[in-house]
Amino acid sequence: MKSNNVLLRIKKNEHFSLYVTLIIVYLLMGILNGSRFFSFRNLTAMMYQMPMIGLLAIGMLISELTGGINLSLVSLANFNGVLIYELLKAFTQGNVGSAHGGQVFIALVVSCIACMVVGLLNGALTAMLQIPALLVTLGTMTLLQGLSLVITKGYTLSGFPDNLTFFGTGTVLGIPMSLILFVVIVFITHIILDRTVYGKQLYMTGANPVAARYSNVNTVKVVVIEYVLSALFSFFASMVMIGQMNSVKANYYESYVLIAVLASFLGGVNPNGGFGKIGGTVIAAIILQVINTGLNLLRLDPFMVTAMWGAIIILVSFGREFAEKIKKSLERRKARPQLEGAE
Amino acid sequence: MKKVLDILKKREALLGVIIILFSLFVTIRVPQFLTYENLSNVLKSCSVTGIFALGVLVVTISGGFDVSFTAIAQVSEYLAIWLLINTFIGRIGNLFVAFVLVILIGGALGLFNGFLIDHFKLPAIIITISTQNLFYGIMYVVCHGRLIYTIPKYIWPLSDKKIFEAVSANGATYGISMVTVLWIVMAILLAVVLKKTVIGRSVYWIGGNALAAERVGINMRKMALFVYGLTGAIAGVGSLAHVAIVQTVIPNSIVGTEMSVIAAVVLGGASITGGKGSVFGSFLGVLLFAIVNNSLTLLQISSYWYNVFTGAIIVLSIILNAVQERQQKKRIIRVKVDENLEGVAV
Repeated sequence: MKSNNVLLRIKKNEHFSLYVTLIIVYLLMGILNGSRFFSFRNLTAMMYQMPMIGLLAIGMLISELTGGINLSLVSLANFNGVLIYELLKAFTQGNVGSAHGGQVFIALVVSCIACMVVGLLNGALTAMLQIPALLVTLGTMTLLQGLSLVITKGYTLSGFPDNLTFFGTGTVLGIPMSLILFVVIVFITHIILDRTVYGKQLYMTGANPVAARYSNVNTVKVVVIEYVLSALFSFFASMVMIGQMNSVKANYYESYVLIAVLASFLGGVNPNGGFGKIGGTVIAAIILQVINTGLNLLRLDPFMVTAMWGAIIILVSFGREFAEKIKKSLERRKARPQLEGAE
Repeated sequence: MKKVLDILKKREALLGVIIILFSLFVTIRVPQFLTYENLSNVLKSCSVTGIFALGVLVVTISGGFDVSFTAIAQVSEYLAIWLLINTFIGRIGNLFVAFVLVILIGGALGLFNGFLIDHFKLPAIIITISTQNLFYGIMYVVCHGRLIYTIPKYIWPLSDKKIFEAVSANGATYGISMVTVLWIVMAILLAVVLKKTVIGRSVYWIGGNALAAERVGINMRKMALFVYGLTGAIAGVGSLAHVAIVQTVIPNSIVGTEMSVIAAVVLGGASITGGKGSVFGSFLGVLLFAIVNNSLTLLQISSYWYNVFTGAIIVLSIILNAVQERQQKKRIIRVKVDENLEGVAV
């Protein structure tokens, strides 16, 4: 009886289909790749890499909660990395690798503020002037990309101090630091979105902005804060990125904009706003990481992987439509006897 | 004075003034900017973008969004040239056949977009980002990134042939290239279709208010297929102009430019939420970007700055757009109030 209950609860979980997808994808990649996919080394590699997709996906999710989108996530992360490098270079007179903890800390704080300013700009233009977020972030994306390109002149800047790369490659008790960082951030974001007044206001604004305004919610403020939060994820992503690449460049991880959209979409966010949970996005990010690693291990053509990303969105759309049809027909079947009884 | 201000509120006039002022500024610094030779080159260099912009304009007016047109252009360019060289089609190959091929391939891929977007009722950006990756990825895998160096000779005149020719000091001829002529002819055709035909007006209607348009009896599925199919076909034609200019098929030379095309269309006054936009406006938008790009080169500013300028222009123009729309809304409300007062007085 009790086990039955547990099964029922798992089945009723809103992310049930995602868990199933994760297991299927994991097994599928395992079958395709053989035992090396299940090896400890591969598992750790995935744990190192997943936070990058995860952070960007959550940044995207937050911006999508009010029906927007944040295309500038990755270019802001790159710009942020370049900014940190330039700050450290100024602090240490050119020898970036020798920067000590205090200097790194100041650089991080300054660049974090810079990220928030960009988020503020995105949010202000979206909320106050009612410009579609797609356009605003497209503009800031191009602008930031250009600025990074102007500063780096297209070169790769490398040689960061160890205390900064620690966030990307370090371990604590054998667990990758990037994963710890990710888990902590996910936890905090979860609390903000699900347990605070602001979170409720955010979902309300996304679901029905007019109703939210009549309920005395300052929707402009909510959206501005939303984009600042979203931009903060660029900051975290850039910290992980600096560590893992030990370098910065104007256009690292450009394809991850798509993957972030994909992850949030897969995780059940409604692109028109109002719905989308962080749990779903995290599982979706894990799914995409499994696919990414699996395809890489198969030594597929990288452009084949590009094509796969596109195909997955379309297939997921078909799958969702199919699932909804089944759900509706089941509900109809359930509803019928009741109707007959009523007659 | 008020009349002048009213005209300036029209996006086309505003852009025209900006272009003239900017050109004057550049001409003072670099006199060779305002020569027939340079200007005809500017027109040639932005012809491909201009043709793409026509397709993007249609999608934008309809309230949709398309980032996959570059991938469509890439695929139709590669596939069409490959077919013309390697298959029986090559035996009857001429410029007309090439046009038919790119239009068919581009149109088919566009229809696929339209079908998906109409079927799933998902935001067009999600669908077109995914189809962009799908088309481009599959093409790259199939062609292994190989370049095609020799394109059929009958495509050359499309960029080599010029009208209003003149000879420069060092003996080279210059003039308005055929690709520019192609661009302008297509622009005029599209303007006529959008303004004078039922299906063209319907594009504005579904962009302005999709629900109302559907209730009036417009077939939304047909419109989605028309809009995205047309964009695909136009992208195909653009790719032919591109290959005529570049004279080589490079499988990654178009993908990645989509944002600058979209930016030009938005700068030209098209509203991203749909229902608004004109061919002439987007023509001027493309021209402004091309002139900025050209003058950066003439003023010997590093090309790294190009993205910064592009981004700044996008941000400024959307702010301008928003402020303009806001003022118009205010004015409409005021007019309504005035009418009511008159009614009371009578």
